Amino acid sequence: MKGSIFALLGGVFITLQGVANARISQDVGVWQATTVTQLVGFLLALFILISLRNKTWRNVKQVKPLYLMGGTFGAIVVFSNITAIHKIGVTVTISALLIAQLLLTFVIDSKGWFGVVKQKMKLPQFIGIGMMIAGVVMLTF
Amino acid sequence: MMIGLIMAVVAGSFVSLQNIFNSKVSERAGSLVTTTLVLGLGFLASLVIGLFVEGGNLFMLTDMKPWYWLCGAIGVGVVVCLVQSIKHLGPTFAISIVMASQLGFAIISDSLGIFGLKQVPFTFQQLLAVIVIVAGMLIFKMSGKKDEEVAKAA
Repeated sequence: MKGSIFALLGGVFITLQGVANARISQDVGVWQATTVTQLVGFLLALFILISLRNKTWRNVKQVKPLYLMGGTFGAIVVFSNITAIHKIGVTVTISALLIAQLLLTFVIDSKGWFGVVKQKMKLPQFIGIGMMIAGVVMLTF
Repeated sequence: MMIGLIMAVVAGSFVSLQNIFNSKVSERAGSLVTTTLVLGLGFLASLVIGLFVEGGNLFMLTDMKPWYWLCGAIGVGVVVCLVQSIKHLGPTFAISIVMASQLGFAIISDSLGIFGLKQVPFTFQQLLAVIVIVAGMLIFKMSGKKDEEVAKAA
C-alpha cells in the first residue's frame, strides 16, 4: 500500500514537473526555465546530501566516466519535454515520451548494450507495444 | 504536431538512456549522490547550451514569479517517491504504477489547463486511448518481468 502511494505520487510529480517547467518557460524562456529548475533541484539535493553527512559520494570514482555523463542528458530531456508540451499538450507528450522510453529500453535489454543483462523478449511484450502505439494513434487523430 | 511528437520521442529516448546510466552510478554511490550529480550536470549542460543559444538573455529572469523558484524541488520529490516505491514493490510494479499515474495526471492537467497552460478539452476518445496505452504498458512490463521479482511479489 505504502509503495503504491509513493508510486502514484512519483508519477504525479513527474508530470507536474513538466507542466510547471512549461509554465515557467512561457514567462522567462525555455532555456532559462531548463537551467533554473535543474539548479534549484541540484542545490536542494546537495543540501540534503550534506546535512545527512552522506559519505558514499567517494564511490563515484569507481563508476565509468561514460555513465557519469548521463546527467548532462537532463538538459535535452527538460528542453524537449517543455517544447513538446507547448506544441501538442501534456497527454500526447507524456504518451509519446513513455512509449519511446519503453521501446528504447526494450531494444537495449534485448541487445544487452551497456552491460545490462540480456533478456529474451516474449510475444505478450510485442502485443503490449502494439497496444501502446494504437493508443497514441487514437490520441492524436 | 510533428515537431512536438519528435521532441517527446527525443525526451523519452534520453530518459531511457539516463535511467540505465544512473542505475550504474546508483549501484556504487547510492540514489542521493546520483540525484545530486545528475541534477548538477544537467544544470551545467543547460547553462552551456543556454548561453550558446540565448547569450546574456539566459540571465534575464525578471519575469520569474517567486513560486517558480520552488518548482525545481519537485525533481527531488520524484526521486524520493521512485526509490521508496521500488523498494516496496520491486521495479516492474512500481514503474508500471508510476507510468499509469503520469498519464492519468497528464489528462487532468490538460483538461483543467493547470498553471495557466492551454486547456485541451477532455474527450472520451482521449480517455479510451490512455486506457489502451496503460493496458499495453502493463502487459509489456508484466510479461517482461524477471523471475526473482515474481518471487518477491508473491
